[in-house]
Amino acid sequence: MNPNTLDKTALITLVGSPNSGKTTLFNYLSGRNVKTANYPGATVEYSVSKLLHKFNINANLLDSPGIVSLTPHSPDEEIAVRSLFSHPTFGSPDLLVVTVDASQLTRHLFLVRQLLECGFNVIIALTMTDLLNKKGYDISTEKLSSELKCDVIKIDGRNGNGITNLVEAINKNLKSLSAKDKVMPQPYSKGDDKQKLISTYSKIELISDKVIEQIPQNGKRINLEKANRQLAILNPDPQIKKNCYQVDQRTLKIDKILLHKVWGLVVFFLIMALTFTSIFWLAQPIMDLVSNAFGFLAAKALAILGYNWFGDFISTGLITGVGSVMVFVPQIMILFLILGLLEDTGYLARGAMLIDRPLSKIGLNGKSFVPMLSGFACAIPAMMAARTIPNKRERLLTIFIIPLLSCSARLPIYALLLAFLFPGEKAWIGGLVMAAIYIFSISNSVLIAAIINKLNKKIIRETDNSSFILELPAYRVPKLKVVTSNMISSAKAYLRKAGPVILILSIAIWFLTYFPNYNPTIPAQNHSQLEILHLKNSERLANSYAADMGKFIQPVMKPLGMDWRVGVSLIAAFTAREVFVSSLALIFKVTDQGETLQGSIVKAMKDAKIDGTGQKLFTPATTIGLIVFFLFALQCLSTVAVSRKETGGWRIPILQLLIFSSLAYVLTFITVNCLRAIGIA
Amino acid sequence: MKTAAQLHYGEKVKISEIDSEHPSSRRIIEVGFTPGQEIELVSKSVFNDPLAFSVRGTVIAIRKNEADCIKIS
Repeated sequence: MNPNTLDKTALITLVGSPNSGKTTLFNYLSGRNVKTANYPGATVEYSVSKLLHKFNINANLLDSPGIVSLTPHSPDEEIAVRSLFSHPTFGSPDLLVVTVDASQLTRHLFLVRQLLECGFNVIIALTMTDLLNKKGYDISTEKLSSELKCDVIKIDGRNGNGITNLVEAINKNLKSLSAKDKVMPQPYSKGDDKQKLISTYSKIELISDKVIEQIPQNGKRINLEKANRQLAILNPDPQIKKNCYQVDQRTLKIDKILLHKVWGLVVFFLIMALTFTSIFWLAQPIMDLVSNAFGFLAAKALAILGYNWFGDFISTGLITGVGSVMVFVPQIMILFLILGLLEDTGYLARGAMLIDRPLSKIGLNGKSFVPMLSGFACAIPAMMAARTIPNKRERLLTIFIIPLLSCSARLPIYALLLAFLFPGEKAWIGGLVMAAIYIFSISNSVLIAAIINKLNKKIIRETDNSSFILELPAYRVPKLKVVTSNMISSAKAYLRKAGPVILILSIAIWFLTYFPNYNPTIPAQNHSQLEILHLKNSERLANSYAADMGKFIQPVMKPLGMDWRVGVSLIAAFTAREVFVSSLALIFKVTDQGETLQGSIVKAMKDAKIDGTGQKLFTPATTIGLIVFFLFALQCLSTVAVSRKETGGWRIPILQLLIFSSLAYVLTFITVNCLRAIGIA
Repeated sequence: MKTAAQLHYGEKVKISEIDSEHPSSRRIIEVGFTPGQEIELVSKSVFNDPLAFSVRGTVIAIRKNEADCIKIS
C-alpha cells in the first residue's frame, strides 16, 4: 500500500474539452463561483478548491484549462497537460473527472481515450444529455462504462442533477485506489503519427455506435432503457445514428445573420460601440453617487476632527484616497458584466472569427480579439488570456500592444480631465470625446502592432506557424447568476489588487505633501478664517518634501507646460494609473463641503497656477496633453510584472516601458506645443 | 483533388484524406476532421476567411489555408 495515498489529501483533477461544461461542474463540486464561459479557453489558469464539505470526501479539486488532446498547441493547454502529469504543488492526480458533451460524443471521447491509454483513473461526467434527448437520442451509460472500463455518470449542468451519483462514484473510486499502489501515468507519446490519431477516432466511432440509442417516437419514456435496447437491436442502420450529430439548427440560423458579410459586420460594430458607450453612460450616475458620498464624508471628517494634521490625514489621506479607488468600481463592474454576457452567449468566438483576417494582416490573430477586448477592463487578465493564442509571435505581439488599449484605470483620469475641459452643459461633448479616445486607443494599438510586425525580428524575434482553429459553440441564453457573480468577483479582485497599493500611496503622498512644515505661521492681518486656511495649505505644500522632490522633475515637466505637482502625480501614477486622481486631490488639498470629489478637484484645477508666474497650470492645451500622455504611457507596475511572467523574460516588458513612456512624453510635448502654436492656450 | 476550402454553402461531403504535410494537420485531425467524416460548410467570415464547418456535432472555424489540407471526394 502506498502511504502517500493514505495520509495525503486526494487530488481530483477536472479535465475536459473546451465548452464541455467542465467549469460548471467545478462550481457544483466546489461550491465556489469560478468563472465559467462559453468561449473556448476561458479558463487559462488552474483553480483549486476543496471538495464541498457536505460531500464528506477529503480531496482537493483542480480545474484546469480545456484541452482537445494531450498534445498541447498553446500555453494554456500546456499548463493543463503539464498539471496532469505533475502539478508543481499537488503532484499527479489520483483521479480524473472528465467532462464529455453527450451531443458531440466522438470528439470528446477522443481525449478520454488518450487519458485511459496513459493509465489515468478516469470517471466520465456526461453533460448536456438533454440536448441529445431533444434530438431523440440517449446514451447508455452502462454500455459506455463497460466499453471504456470506467464509471460514467450523467450530469445536468442546469440543475445539478446527478452530482450525488458522481460524488458516490468518486468516493468508490478513491477507496478502491487507496487499496492498491499508485500507478504513475505514462506521458502521452508526442511522436506518434497521424495515422494513430485517425485510428483512435475509428475505435471511438465503433464504441459510440454501440452506446447511442434512439428514444422511441411515441414519447413513452417509462422504460427508456429497455425500449432503447430493443430499438437498437431493431435498428442497426448507421444512417439513423448520424442524425444525433446534427448541429444545433437555431445556432446555424443565428450565425447566418451574425456571420453575414454585411450584417455580421454591422452587428459587430454595434456591439462594440454599445459596449464602450455603456461603460460611460451607464456608470456615470453610479459614479456620481459614489463620488458624492466620499466628498461628503471627507468634508464631514474634517469638520468633526478639526483642521489639524489628524483631521487632514483622515479626511484627505484616507477617505479621499479610498474614494478615488471606489469611484470607478461601477465602470469595472459594467465592463465585466458586458464581457461576461458576450462570453456566455457564445458571441466572442464569432467576434474572433470575424476579425481574424484583418488582425492577421498586422501580425495578430483572431484569437487576439478576446485578450484585446479584456484589455479595456484590465491589462492583467488580458495578458493572461493571450495564452490561448497558439502562435508565439502573435501571442507576444498581442501582449505587447495590450497596454495601449484604454484600461478601466484610465477612465477616472479621462473622466476628470474631460469634466475640466467640458464643464456643466457641455458635458455631453465630453461623452463624445471619451468615445473618440477609445477609438483612438484602438487605432493606436493596431498601428503600433503593424509597425512592430513590419520591423520583423527587431522587437519580437519569434516566428511560428500561424493558425486559427476555433470551435463556435452553440448559442445559449446567458446564465444571469453566473454573469453577475463573475462581475462581482472581478470587482473584488480589482479592489484586492489595486486597493492596498492606492491606499499606501495615498498615505505616502499625503505625508510628503503635509510635512515637514505642517503648521506654517500666517500673519493674521486682514485675512478671513478661510483665507488663512488656504494660505496655510499652499505654504505647507510649498515647503513640503514633495516640493523638494518636485524640483528634480521640474525641468522635465516644463517643456510640457506643466509643473512639479503634475510631475509628482504622474510619477505616483507609474505604480498604478488611477493614483493620478487621488494624488491630484491630495496635492491640491481638495476637501470642499457639499461638492463631489470630482467637482472639487476640477475647481482646484481651475484655480491652480504655475509657481511664481501666475500662469494657469491647467489649460486646454496641457489638459489635452495629459490625455495624450495617458493614452500611451505604460504606468502600471502590475502590468510590467505580468508581462514579464507571460513573455518569459524582461526583454518585452522593458521594451514596452521604454517605447510607450518615451512615446507618451514626445507626443505630449508635440500636442501641447502644437496646440499653443495654433492659439489654443 | 478538391479540398474543403472550395466547398459551397450547404454542400455536404465526405473527407477522403488529410494532407499531413500541413503544420496544422495534427490539430485538424484532433478536433475531429478525419477521413470518412461528413462535413458541411455552414458559414464564412467576412473576406471569406476563416470558414466554419460542421463536423461531429459541432461547428469549427478554420482558416482557408488550413481547410486546404482537408481533401474531399
